[in-house]
Amino acid sequence: MKRYEMIVIGAGPAGLSAAIEAAQSGLEVVVFDENEWPGGQLFKQIHKFFGSREHQARTRGVKIGQNLLEAARGIGVKVVLGATVLGIYKNKEIAVRLEGEVRNCKADAIVIATGASENMMTFDGWTLPGVMGAGAAQTLMNLHGVRPGKKILMVGSGNVGLVVSFQLKQAGCDVVAVVDAAARIGGYGVHAAKLARTGVPFYTSHTVVKAVGAEKVEGAVIAEVGADFTPIPGTEMPLDIDTVCIAVGLSPMSQLADNAGAELVYDPAKGGYVAALTDEGETSVKGLFCAGDVAGIEEASSAMIQGKIAAAAAARDLGYITAADFETKAFGYKESLAKIRAGMFAPGNKGRTDIVQTDEGYPLSESLLARGFLSDAEAAAFPAAGIGGGGGGPRPVIECTQNIPCDPCQDVCPKGCILVGDNITALPQIAGEKACSGCALCVGACSGQAIFLVNETYEDGYGTVGLPYEFVPLPQKGDKGRALGRDGGELCGAEVVEVRAGAAMDKTPMVVMKVPVSEIARARFFRPESEGGI
Amino acid sequence: MAVMVRVKNDAPFAAQPDDDMVVCRCEEVTKGEIRKALHDGVCTFGEVKRFLRCGMGLCQGQTCQRLVLGIISRELGLPVSGLGHITGRMPVRPVIMEELGKSTEESKEA
Repeated sequence: MKRYEMIVIGAGPAGLSAAIEAAQSGLEVVVFDENEWPGGQLFKQIHKFFGSREHQARTRGVKIGQNLLEAARGIGVKVVLGATVLGIYKNKEIAVRLEGEVRNCKADAIVIATGASENMMTFDGWTLPGVMGAGAAQTLMNLHGVRPGKKILMVGSGNVGLVVSFQLKQAGCDVVAVVDAAARIGGYGVHAAKLARTGVPFYTSHTVVKAVGAEKVEGAVIAEVGADFTPIPGTEMPLDIDTVCIAVGLSPMSQLADNAGAELVYDPAKGGYVAALTDEGETSVKGLFCAGDVAGIEEASSAMIQGKIAAAAAARDLGYITAADFETKAFGYKESLAKIRAGMFAPGNKGRTDIVQTDEGYPLSESLLARGFLSDAEAAAFPAAGIGGGGGGPRPVIECTQNIPCDPCQDVCPKGCILVGDNITALPQIAGEKACSGCALCVGACSGQAIFLVNETYEDGYGTVGLPYEFVPLPQKGDKGRALGRDGGELCGAEVVEVRAGAAMDKTPMVVMKVPVSEIARARFFRPESEGGI
Repeated sequence: MAVMVRVKNDAPFAAQPDDDMVVCRCEEVTKGEIRKALHDGVCTFGEVKRFLRCGMGLCQGQTCQRLVLGIISRELGLPVSGLGHITGRMPVRPVIMEELGKSTEESKEA
């Protein structure tokens, strides 16, 4: 029987990171993945990641996936696709289905990085074609180039629901509504805001009660829910949609850990049943590790670090690195993990609804939490988001009002006029009003698309607002249309006076629109005439 | 390990408006069937599975486990943590018998 020093199950962010780490320490590593493509969910993640430089912030997930795959192959990791691990027996023996037969092999260490599956919810009509997981819709769009539908109802406003809704808009679908049974939007405010300003309405304290249609989804009914999360009679509202996307959380795929004899524990904060793990990611079975979503639902950045910790521990246990080397590595990894696990949306804060102010003491925007956009008054109250007096020339307005772990704005500003500090969950501050050169790097770098360049002295009575614009077709200089507010409502006429789409913007072009000075503090999106913005 | 407590819902079975809702799509098991089973004395996920085949289909409970646990928890007034879960068994993914039959132990590198 073929024996490997390490078998990694799952070629997603956790698995590939584990494989690279182990191979760097000298282990012979094979990665099995049941899919046709490696990378797990990374190759669907076309948005820029959060975190700091060390977490590959402002790099799109798809690029991170490519980097990991290249690194893995470059260091001699064997990545075997179409390889479905069917079971793990005693003594770390694995049965894997490959090329039409089942093969058995053994490993000194195993890292299970099988990720998670999407949760479903039941409602009248939930089994109709057209009801699908938000992740499935994302796979259709971003891997297969197929729009899941034309008119979408998104159920769930966590980051998955928000990110996929935005990508559906990018793919040309109409996102008719985002509903969430909770009273607060579950994901990052910046993800909600970039959706709201395109005109997508949010319905918090609402749920889907019915999908209508004989053979497929032809409509849906949503309703407001009471404190017990059940629909309030009389609040039903029909929606003209053809697709329902469900984004109500993920469940770790713990079956293999269970099969291998590892002790499972039920932990709602981690998404359900997960293997009981040491802080090195080792299960109750010696040499069997879990990393990534299978260890508890988080996101790709922490999955990558967890993979490295598990692999480093395995390398130590197998004698490839000393205990002291491990401690040094693990210290750095754990520090990096702590950085990304901080802030309002940290795993420890999951489900909390009692956070009412930022770490700095600013009241959280209630409008952002309930409706997906900052009210004009709330925006003015944040130091970097307010327009203030401001002299001539462009300067950044940063509508980043929740403590999330992210600092690319600080990282890219060549003039040092944006300050986040070492604590990357801190809200960004504007350091100096005159320093800004208008380079727009911050606009392109902000993973939350929350930075705008404003200039109130463009010409007499008119100023400009530069905004991140990740849609096609890209407006051109001279295009006319309407300026939209943070809520997606039309404010006034607008004309595109400049478009920055160079390589430095990394596919987040900045569209600069001319609007009356009086609208500069409110105008946050551009709708071209061709799309009805007349 | 969570300690298993046997609980039976002795109240007479009362129909609910959504009892005909399919919960396990693979095996086409409805909410009403699951609720009835709980009134008949079934009380863990494993028992629901053996009794009604929930979780024995193509997806192996990937979709319905959480939904079934929710129904059991509400019907019996028990926390989900004590209701057990699907046992992870080889094969954790569907495999056709022919491929299983070709199982090789050595030689070929996996």
